Amino acid sequence: MTRKEFLSSVDEMLELPPGTLNGPEKLEDFQLWDSTAMVTFMALADSNNGARIAPRELGSCETVDDLLRVARVGM
Amino acid sequence: MHAMLRAIEYHLPENVVSTSDLSLQFPDWSVEKIAAKTGIGSRHIAKPEECASDLAVAAAQKLFSSGACRPQDIDYVLLCTQSPDYFLPTTACLMQDRLGIPTTAGALDFNLGSSGYVYGLGLSEGLISSGQASRLLLLTAETYSKFLNSRDRSVRTIFGDAAAATLLTATDVREPLLGPFIYGTNGEGGPNLIVPTGGSRRPRTNCSAKEAEDENGNVRSADNLFMSGPDIFNFTLSAVPESVERLLAKSGRTIGDVDLFVFHQANQSILDHLRKRLKIPAEKFYVFMKDSGNTASSTIPIALKSARDEGRLSEGSLIMLVGFGPGYSWGATFLRSAGIL
Repeated sequence: MTRKEFLSSVDEMLELPPGTLNGPEKLEDFQLWDSTAMVTFMALADSNNGARIAPRELGSCETVDDLLRVARVGM
Repeated sequence: MHAMLRAIEYHLPENVVSTSDLSLQFPDWSVEKIAAKTGIGSRHIAKPEECASDLAVAAAQKLFSSGACRPQDIDYVLLCTQSPDYFLPTTACLMQDRLGIPTTAGALDFNLGSSGYVYGLGLSEGLISSGQASRLLLLTAETYSKFLNSRDRSVRTIFGDAAAATLLTATDVREPLLGPFIYGTNGEGGPNLIVPTGGSRRPRTNCSAKEAEDENGNVRSADNLFMSGPDIFNFTLSAVPESVERLLAKSGRTIGDVDLFVFHQANQSILDHLRKRLKIPAEKFYVFMKDSGNTASSTIPIALKSARDEGRLSEGSLIMLVGFGPGYSWGATFLRSAGIL
């Protein structure tokens, strides 16, 4: 999955209009970034990139770029 | 002699909490979206005075009323619950009396969550094949709702209360109809799905009842059930595919040999992910939780009963059952459909 496709999936996950996210956005600004969204993101990373993300690692993410990094999404 | 699964009945409490009810309580939260992810539209919740044993009695009475057997025929009662009536006596003993089961019957509780049904079938096969029981009543019953904080959205959307009653009888067959069994345990995961207080380790106090809000806006106290969704997801992702592979290897079968897969009905997104990961065809993967939610050890028997009622099982069908839950604890087995089921 490309970076663009991943960003688009995170847009959808956070119920944002397509093309909203670019990467530097802070996760704390999104009300829907909660434990349910975390699980959805972990499933996305596992399915598309084979990346098994440790919950602690996910909890330390502050921005959307951090999410893409732990999901091993190519830049 | 081997155990044959003869019949299943279940009981859901009358009180229903729908996703729209939850929407009213959490207007700033996309509960409808969550419902789409969890696959749960409503869950049944026990009344304050209604215990797990009351639900189990209702399920067992339904089984007796169906004509599958009579109370006086039962010679062993197994009750899987994490919400017993008392620390002691054993709830299964009280149920023997309430159900009119002979005093010559054995009865015991075992404390497991969503892996409990598979373990219960394993115990049943052991008791029956060793000649210790011939008509066994396996009960699963939970009222997790009593552990949930009404302001904890992360668990209120998922869990529902229920009980199921399964009749297993001794049958003279050459090949077992249940098994082989594989099990797994990892206590390191205990803190990720837990009711921290109320036992000997940490008794309930005024202090433990103090509520706090977490970073996601969910409110709970140490007296309530806590679930770390991301940790549970990772556990599931490790335990379930490994269990499926181990069971297939132990039985010398492949995914293609299985007619129906019935996993613990945790939630829709976890099940979808597991199905895709294991490359199981959608038509062979049974999901049934829309109107009952995650009822812990009762999800598998409820789904089996539903699959049978929908005509998804035929004589000789090979069904794979996989349970996984708090502990961490997990198990998997095969069930060969025969007789009534």
